[in-house]
Amino acid sequence: MTTDAVARARGRVGKPAALLEVRSLSKRFGEVQANWDVDLTVLPGTVHGLIGENGAGKSTLLKMIYGVYTPDEGRMFVDGAPVSPGSPADARALGIGMVFQDLRLVPALTVAENIALALPDGPTLRLARLAARITEASEAYGLAVDPSAQVRHLSIGERQRAEILKVLMTGARLVILDEPTSVLAPQEVEALFGVVAQLRDRGLGVVLVTHKLGEVRAIADQVTVLRGGQVILNAEDPGNFSDAELVEAMVGRRVPPLAVERVAVPPRERAVLELRGATALGDRGHVALKGVDLDVHPGELVGVAGVAGSGQKELCEVALGLRPVTSGSVRVDDTGGGAVAVPEDPVADSVVPGLTVLEHMVLDGRAVPRRGLGIDWPAVGARTAVLDERVGLHMAPTKRTLSSLSGGNIQRVVLTRELGQDASLVVAAYPSRGLDVANTRRTQELLLQHRARGAGVLMVSEDLDELIAVADRIAVMHDGHLVGVVDTAGADRMSIGRLMLGGVA
Amino acid sequence: MSQDVTKEAPALPAPAPPVERSRRLLTRGTALLRWLGALIAGLVVFGAFVLANGADPFAVYADIWTSTLTQPGQFQQIVLRAAPIALAGLAVVVPARAGLVNVGGEGQLIIGAVAAAGVALWLTPVASPWLVMLLMVVAAVVAGAAWAGIAAAMRLVVKVNEAVTTLLLNYVALYSMLFLILGPWKDPAALGQSTSVELHDAMKLPVFAGTAIHVGVVLAVVAAGAVWFALTRTTWGFRLSVVGGNAEAARRAGLPVVTLLLTALLIGGALAGLAGFIQLAGMEYKLRPTFGLTIGYVAFLASWLSRHKPLPLLVASLVLAAIAVSGNSLQIGSGLPAASVNILMGLVLLAVLGWTSPRKVRS
Repeated sequence: MTTDAVARARGRVGKPAALLEVRSLSKRFGEVQANWDVDLTVLPGTVHGLIGENGAGKSTLLKMIYGVYTPDEGRMFVDGAPVSPGSPADARALGIGMVFQDLRLVPALTVAENIALALPDGPTLRLARLAARITEASEAYGLAVDPSAQVRHLSIGERQRAEILKVLMTGARLVILDEPTSVLAPQEVEALFGVVAQLRDRGLGVVLVTHKLGEVRAIADQVTVLRGGQVILNAEDPGNFSDAELVEAMVGRRVPPLAVERVAVPPRERAVLELRGATALGDRGHVALKGVDLDVHPGELVGVAGVAGSGQKELCEVALGLRPVTSGSVRVDDTGGGAVAVPEDPVADSVVPGLTVLEHMVLDGRAVPRRGLGIDWPAVGARTAVLDERVGLHMAPTKRTLSSLSGGNIQRVVLTRELGQDASLVVAAYPSRGLDVANTRRTQELLLQHRARGAGVLMVSEDLDELIAVADRIAVMHDGHLVGVVDTAGADRMSIGRLMLGGVA
Repeated sequence: MSQDVTKEAPALPAPAPPVERSRRLLTRGTALLRWLGALIAGLVVFGAFVLANGADPFAVYADIWTSTLTQPGQFQQIVLRAAPIALAGLAVVVPARAGLVNVGGEGQLIIGAVAAAGVALWLTPVASPWLVMLLMVVAAVVAGAAWAGIAAAMRLVVKVNEAVTTLLLNYVALYSMLFLILGPWKDPAALGQSTSVELHDAMKLPVFAGTAIHVGVVLAVVAAGAVWFALTRTTWGFRLSVVGGNAEAARRAGLPVVTLLLTALLIGGALAGLAGFIQLAGMEYKLRPTFGLTIGYVAFLASWLSRHKPLPLLVASLVLAAIAVSGNSLQIGSGLPAASVNILMGLVLLAVLGWTSPRKVRS
């Protein structure tokens, strides 16, 4: 497939104009040079992978193309004609469509109504006629969507298809997909790529933003790598590079593979965490956790997989005693050190925006050094320096307030505080969220160190590859149920994916 | 190929040197400028109002200036007015640190004064003056805290917003006081006026020799210092800011959230009760229908103007007290009613709040 694509792409050189051509785009925010001299050429009938770490400048580039930001310097061409989209509406008029990572559909409306919102279709709603057009378009592109379904009843994968359909029906010839696979089960990813291949074959251009190399290999004809706001590899054929080389291009140095050998910890009789028929309500009052039985033993790392919102958050909170069970039982066998937790949403659950990094260091539920009536901040500072050194995630300076930090820096503060302590139970929800490759690796090492020291580790992740790399067992959740526990040795992504979607392994 | 990949990223244009410190000074400077600008904007709009009423705004302002700030007697009046505003302002500051909105300073102040007046009424004949005065203070503090405690209990048990309950309790407090001075506590010697019996001279706060300044003013300054220390230098104050900044984070950190919210509101109520005591024993000496009128609300605004910080609160209290005192000379000088100075106060507050609030930065 790849050679075909290259042949296709080569065949076009110098003939029809590139669908989109970006030349020397630069954008600076204050002291941060988010993009510097960036080139990007997307040819019709190709899938262009755009990869880079968090903060590499992918979002900035896309937002300039989509008219959200105005470039400081540089030029853009669509079909060879110079353009400067000043707003997303301008970009759409030029045939540029964007599918955001957080889908922009109104949950209370139907698919047809959502699409009607995006179409400039005169003062009257002609939903029946529109529904017919939607059905027609969805058949033409192989995007199965029921126009009369309410968006809130659709799965994430279905919502994404509706969003892509919406973008196509507004006349997009260049479709930008911003990390579309991060919330999908493997089967849904395959279906999505089927759609992408269709779009490509019909002559559209697709930009696929991702940080997963497997996806680039599966579907992209060309790949562009951004690092530190600059183009490192420009429209190369991914087949010419090894995974290690692509990672190196993204990260700027070699990242050693995670040690595969694990110290086996002698099994102990009692589980450190024992859930029996645990049932709990979610924040909206619905039953979010349904009769879950799960043991986490000392020296074991149990991964939790599932489509977003399947009960992972409630599972973590029940395990930590932060959410009461309505039936069933939770038992934590504390052998010293208690529990530490990385919350699913640190900004909502763990961050006090106006306080400094140092002040957050005492919010771990443990004894705080006192002096007189107050807290002995110099002692906290000394303790924090030792912690930061040992954990090795290199937090922001301790005087900075959390409101001035990016998501990844906030995550490092929380990880340093929580994973730097000894504990008998570690509950980590999406621990590598917002981190670059090197810090993700370090975080995984820290979790494995806890496991090696005999702690029970429960880790939620959206990334099946990450779970397969570090977990001993993977518990799969669907709609609040624990639908299966898979041994990682010999685990099969597709059978885990079937469980995530509620099927049988 | 791998060499190609690891090539050094071409040099970026050098980022600007760290400017954090100078920028902080700059933002502090602009904050001050905005404050001044807002003040001037309020003065200009009020000047137009004065002009529309047929008076010369420049003469009015000159008059206000000379009569309030250049005469020692008037300055003492400002200080005396500012003291209860500052104390009742602290009653907003402390709960605000925990994310609570205490609009009940007015009621907590009245209830504090009622409790102190009750103690004076019953114990003056039987106990020594110093003991009575001490018990008046205790009663005012306890009553103010208890009044705030009702709102705290409703917030913590049935989750009613404390801004609503404290506001409603103001009316309960006011009409309870009116009931007492119209009925059981009415001074028979007051010739038809509804007031309580005036405090015995021994129960009036002593003044500094040669001035009208009573010791309650010192109490207000000491209280502001104590609140500053408690909020910025103690574990309790730190925990309050955690609860106020993100209650869920506080809960997950194992902090006693309920206790912290409760203590914040109770201490706030106690401070407002204390304000009631100094207003009674230092200024008015008896309860009457207009006792302590609007002090609680002005204090609420003073706290917002000072961004809920105890030491700037002292300044804000003085400014608001000065505007209130200037109302008298306004009436004499221009024939405008004294109450129209409240228009100026309102305009200045709106301008300051609207123009100096930190804007939400869009991500």
